[in-house]
Amino acid sequence: MAKVTVSKLAKLFPPPIKGGDVVRAITNIDFEVDGNVFVSIVGPSGCGKSTLLNILSGVDTPTSGSVTVTEAGKPAKLGYVFQDARLLPWRSVMDNMMYVRDDASDESVANAAKYLSMVGLDHTHEMFPGQLSGGMQQRVGIARAFSVEPDLLLMDEPFSHLDAMTARSLRDHLQELWSRTRKTVLFVTHDVMEAVQLSDRIIVLAPGGVIYDDISIDLPHPRKASDPKVATLQAEILGQFENMQIPAVE
Amino acid sequence: MAGVLVDSAEASALGTAAGLRRRRYLALATGWVGFVAIWWLLSVWVNSDARLPSPGRVWDEVWIIFNGDPTNSRNDGGIFWNNFLASVIRVLLGFVVGVAMGTPLGFLMGRNRYWRSFLKSPVMIAGSIPGLTYAVMVLVVFGISFVGPVLAIGLISMPYIAINVAEGVGGVDKGLLNMSRSFGRSEKQMFRDVVVPSVLPFIFAGVRLSFSLAWKVGQLTEVFGASQGIGFQIRRNFQLFNMPAVIAWIGLFIIFMLVLERFVLVRIERKLFRWRQWEREG
Ligand SMILES: Nc1ncnc2c1ncn2[C@@H]1O[C@H](COP(=O)(O)OP(=O)(O)OP(=O)(O)O)[C@@H](O)[C@H]1O
Ligand SMILES: [Mg+2]
Repeated sequence: MAKVTVSKLAKLFPPPIKGGDVVRAITNIDFEVDGNVFVSIVGPSGCGKSTLLNILSGVDTPTSGSVTVTEAGKPAKLGYVFQDARLLPWRSVMDNMMYVRDDASDESVANAAKYLSMVGLDHTHEMFPGQLSGGMQQRVGIARAFSVEPDLLLMDEPFSHLDAMTARSLRDHLQELWSRTRKTVLFVTHDVMEAVQLSDRIIVLAPGGVIYDDISIDLPHPRKASDPKVATLQAEILGQFENMQIPAVE
Repeated sequence: MAGVLVDSAEASALGTAAGLRRRRYLALATGWVGFVAIWWLLSVWVNSDARLPSPGRVWDEVWIIFNGDPTNSRNDGGIFWNNFLASVIRVLLGFVVGVAMGTPLGFLMGRNRYWRSFLKSPVMIAGSIPGLTYAVMVLVVFGISFVGPVLAIGLISMPYIAINVAEGVGGVDKGLLNMSRSFGRSEKQMFRDVVVPSVLPFIFAGVRLSFSLAWKVGQLTEVFGASQGIGFQIRRNFQLFNMPAVIAWIGLFIIFMLVLERFVLVRIERKLFRWRQWEREG
């Protein structure tokens, strides 16, 4: 039950060329996420989605404004799934799982194994990332993030590097995992169909890093891509998007 | 019958692997036998121990080096180990000095732009000074000593280690560091589990690059200023016009280097970097 509060958040980057303009990655955004909901953040490339997640995870700092991520008043525990798997190539799959954990007890190992099993990677414990396919590596990344049992799970376009079929099956894995564990999730994507299938709420960002829209989706989980109700809603929201006049970057 | 098919296919695959290895050893052995035969023919033709001693004469010297010389009571057979160990210890210590100086310099250069521009030229210059210069320099400064050669070896290997480490540190995957940070790993854990494993192959590359160089400089310093060691023995026997012994020492040195390279260095690398065999593009 993490609570995310983003208020008057702005992030500027120094000009990419000397004498140029500063880059406005995020301009004054406010939003709040409370409870075990799956929230997608969509928007065109360069509108500050990754920057937002990096600020939430503490990898990057805001230029102004503030973000707080709390769990029952205390700082929340985070899990992060990246666009690429980001596994340590010199450690086996199991050792990669253990890298993000604080203790190496038998329970801890059993717990890591449980999450590997949930993404169908029982037989890979001793394998090295280089021995796995891209999709398998990404599944390790997902299992790793879930296995720390985070209060808030950040996911940055985790399926965009994968082929459509693998992405689809991983989406099902994710639905499964999420329905069982019900974390607070912030899921970045530029795929509207994906956002509709997975989320309870979609925050739409526009270039320059401003909130353009905030849509809620009320369908029970887990949702299958083949479910006609999902398909109808996808078509509807996609239609809305086509009519949107998303401002271009100035 | 599929099982039988697989079995025979497997067997023949294994058979070819073993056959290949046998053929490779055969080629290797033929090469060496051929080399010794040509050497022997040449020595018969030259017919002068002082110019080109025969393999047999050199073998006699090797035997004396290991077992002592019955006609010379001062040479009791300890000669091999004493001189050999002296050289090995000097080179290893020198190498430790080189790595100990080069690694922190490399980290500074890799991490920090200012240190990089500050250190780049001195390190480059240090790396391009010929080994002979170091050998002479330490002889001038320290005379015949133990520290001199160790320092010379350290100085010659340091730039290679430093430049490689700098390269490695600069190339540490930022994505992995960010991943570690977002999962709450400490700086210490990140250093131990991300930075060190990324840089280690570069340190090894530096070690391999400078390894033979270190030996050459070690030998050079011994030729000029030492009272023990392989290089010293080569010089001494040269002054005594004992060519068979000179060649015997050189031969032993080469064999030792080959063994060290093929069996020790390569094995350590293979074990340490097992994961690299699966690395691939994309
Ligand atoms: N470290 C940085 N230094 C300078 N500029 C940056 C940096 N990181 C991001 N930016 C700029 O900030 C803007 C937003 O980048 P960000 O990566 O957040 O976009 P995004 O919405 O994640 O895009 P995509 O969908 O392509 O991943 C871009 O214009 C980018 O050039
Ligand atoms: Mg991004």
